[in-house]
Amino acid sequence: MATTHARAAARLMISPSVILLLGWMLIPLGMTLYFSVLRYNLLMPGDNPFVGIENYQYFLTDPAFTAALINTLALVVGVLAVTIIGGTLLALLLDQPMWATGIWRILVIAPFFVMPTVSALVWKNMFMNPVNGLFAHLFKSLGLAPFDFLAQAPLFSIIWIVSWQWLPFATLILLTAMQSLDREQIEAAEMDGAGALSRFRHITIPHLGRAATVVVLIETIFLLSVFAEILVTTNGGPGNASTNLTYLVYAESLLRFDVGMGSAGGVVAIILANIVAIFLMRAIGKNLDA
Amino acid sequence: MARAVTPQRKALNTAIAALIGALIFFPIFWTVLTSFKTETQAIADPPVWFAFDWTLENYTAVNQRSDYLLHFWNSVVISVGSTLLGLMIAVPAAWAMAFVPGRRTKDILMWMLSTKMLPSVGVLVPIYLLFRQLGLLDTRMGLVIVLTLINLPIIIWMLYTYFREIPGEILEAARMDGASLREEVTHVLLPMAVPGMASTVLLNIILAWNEAFWTLNLTAAKAAPLTAFIASYSSPEGLFYAKLSAASTMAIAPILIMGWFSQKQLVRGLTFGAVK
Repeated sequence: MATTHARAAARLMISPSVILLLGWMLIPLGMTLYFSVLRYNLLMPGDNPFVGIENYQYFLTDPAFTAALINTLALVVGVLAVTIIGGTLLALLLDQPMWATGIWRILVIAPFFVMPTVSALVWKNMFMNPVNGLFAHLFKSLGLAPFDFLAQAPLFSIIWIVSWQWLPFATLILLTAMQSLDREQIEAAEMDGAGALSRFRHITIPHLGRAATVVVLIETIFLLSVFAEILVTTNGGPGNASTNLTYLVYAESLLRFDVGMGSAGGVVAIILANIVAIFLMRAIGKNLDA
Repeated sequence: MARAVTPQRKALNTAIAALIGALIFFPIFWTVLTSFKTETQAIADPPVWFAFDWTLENYTAVNQRSDYLLHFWNSVVISVGSTLLGLMIAVPAAWAMAFVPGRRTKDILMWMLSTKMLPSVGVLVPIYLLFRQLGLLDTRMGLVIVLTLINLPIIIWMLYTYFREIPGEILEAARMDGASLREEVTHVLLPMAVPGMASTVLLNIILAWNEAFWTLNLTAAKAAPLTAFIASYSSPEGLFYAKLSAASTMAIAPILIMGWFSQKQLVRGLTFGAVK
């Protein structure tokens, strides 16, 4: 059992981290809340009067907010659907006996290590560009008219790019979970005459459930904050067609210099993320007891 | 247990995996390939595959843009700096929580994790204004501070899960033998903890290198790391495909290589130990 002395030492060792994280959380959070009730624009010097919930009213009733909210949801759900379904299939494939698995796995997970600005620009210029992109060449060789992905289907294109980045994450985690699956259980089921499909349904899927939950929750946290991919491809446009909540708050704050409005948007983003976070924390907390 | 499969089945699996792997990897392959073309060949219609005049001129050109090396160096300083600073703060905390767990250890861990869920954009305005006030905008120091703070929970969690696997009896034994706290840490714990710490460092350098919210919003010409530098190619300059490719290849190569070595740790670090 730990002595009193050890306990005091432990507390001392934990405190720097706690104090730093507490400061990092509380100071900016307090400031965001405070700014969100002021009329405060960096382009209009002067006093910053208290305006109560005015910023929230403007922010929440702005059509741009509705658009951004829908886009945020579409982006999160779209990428989740692609990565979870694709990731499960890929994990299943890579779990099969084959030669040189390591090499194929490396190829599949590589996109995860590409920085967001690079992957967005590579897709934007070298693939989706309507004149010189590879897709344009491909369409032309098939006798189709070139398609300007980022102008005509901006959100779809961004979902495509972000899915490419996150597919490896889902695959890797589901594959790890699959490999911890009890082989004997499968073999026993096989002997009992269970077909491949029913083995997958009754053994693999339940086993993967927890890993899939973790993938969904962690990806959601990151996907709510997609930013660089939008900034370098569409700048949220055309119009608001590919503006998500993160980008909208950025635009209010650092492009229109509306500190009050940006802060109100920030608070809304925090609330949304927290709803997801509660579920995530529960899933991870359960694991701590195990 | 190896399952019995026919060679044909194995060959088919291999072929499918190779095909899909190649498709997913293709954008990276194409970027690297394009970086060795001339600008004209890079946009040739139809695209040229291997029969072009391989050249290193793009790499020379990108490096001659006096600033490339600066941005590369910024990335190194920011990612390595924030990781090491975070490690210094996190090791004592993780050690204490793993070996002297108290009643509230779990709550503290969960709370630390919850700070990671705070969306960056929610505190963009205050951090930007604070940085402006303190003269930290567009400084490497400023980014090291921010990235240390946002990755601190991950570092603590990863170290905690590794430390927890070190058997406590060994420490007890050392204590019985009269080892002081410091001796216990330096002679017993650290040697056993080094692999876990190395993985933590690796994953965090990767995360910090690719971080693209704060690096884009808090830097301009001076302290911009590669994420922000590459973003500048979204202007018409980006239509110089070969140079964009060369700059991109140099920006992703080191991290791609590190990433391949840290696949296993990646799972553990990013799921906070929930999947191993």
